[in-house]
Amino acid sequence: MDYAYYPGCSLTGSARKLDKGVRKLFKKLGHTLKDIPDWNCCGAFEYGDRKELVKLSGENLQKAKDVASDVIAPCPACSRNLKEANEDGGLRVYNPLDLFDKEFLSGLTMKRDLKGQVFTPYYGCVLMRPKETAIPNSNVMEDFVTALGGDVAGEKIKDRCCGGNQFFINKWATEKLSRMILEKSKGTILVFCPLCQMALKTFSTNEKIIYFTDLILYASGEENKL
Amino acid sequence: MNKRNHDIVFEHTGYRREDFSVCLGCKICASVCTVNDLSLNVNPQDILISLFMGEEVSADHGLVRYCTNCYRCTHACPWGIRIPEVIRAVRESLAMESTFEKAFKGSLKIWGRVYEPYIFLRAGMFLVKEGYLRYMPKWTEYMSFHLPHKVKSLNSLSDSKGRT
Repeated sequence: MDYAYYPGCSLTGSARKLDKGVRKLFKKLGHTLKDIPDWNCCGAFEYGDRKELVKLSGENLQKAKDVASDVIAPCPACSRNLKEANEDGGLRVYNPLDLFDKEFLSGLTMKRDLKGQVFTPYYGCVLMRPKETAIPNSNVMEDFVTALGGDVAGEKIKDRCCGGNQFFINKWATEKLSRMILEKSKGTILVFCPLCQMALKTFSTNEKIIYFTDLILYASGEENKL
Repeated sequence: MNKRNHDIVFEHTGYRREDFSVCLGCKICASVCTVNDLSLNVNPQDILISLFMGEEVSADHGLVRYCTNCYRCTHACPWGIRIPEVIRAVRESLAMESTFEKAFKGSLKIWGRVYEPYIFLRAGMFLVKEGYLRYMPKWTEYMSFHLPHKVKSLNSLSDSKGRT
């Protein structure tokens, strides 16, 4: 299947690993990601005027229309803004986590199990709220881990806020919130949001924090180590 | 915060003053608010009531300063009021743009995208002064460098407000 692909700003820089993982995974599943030509920033959280945000993301949807009617945006802030801008429902906008159910991933042959390994799936805020733009299955990462025999921890902190939004404004606030999540996590922390990854990584000591895509690629034999 | 500020908040969010009259005072927003994890003892309901009553909202209110956009309040609110969007609009009406936000919008004005090296250069003094540089090795783990791409077609920024 062909998807219009919206990488968003962070996936071209600080979250390039997520971009690479998503591209590799979709290719492995037999799908084609076609970059939306000349895409612009979605506005992230930096505009106080909702209309302004919708206009910015609306331009991206216009640019996507000639590419495909299903749009993929891996960064949760981007997928949220694009979903909000898709007011007339003219396109179908997805975060990859909207799609990663058992059936969608059934095209992959799993070559490794996760027995004896513990994971803390961490979703953060934007993937879970508000409900209008949230992912449909709030256990999508847990389902994947347990299906391969892995253990899941951190249920209570999976949708708590890392404070990433305050990182470059009031660093102490982000540090306190991120440390709370790190302290209550066990094993490898699975993330999907580049901002959460950055905040948790910044204040981590020895915790391993990886993108969920890299776990899927590892289990399917694509990557040799986590 | 004067009447004009209030008008900006309503214009930006799409809410009307009377929309906040439905607030039941249940304080469920306060019970789940992330800002209270920072021991700041805030009640989002205060902001809604102030806007409804036409009263001042202070830039020093804990929620105005520290709201993390987590939407836990909206999720819990019986009316689903999007309080984080109200807070963002309040901040904009009070011109509370941080160094980072100015750099972010500056990058959009030049390229139509966020070009991270530009943000770091433009906010360089702030990052040095506030001790961010020591984290940089951790940020590079999943990073790659690229040259900026200038978006050719971008109409929405030509008439928008609040940019540098």
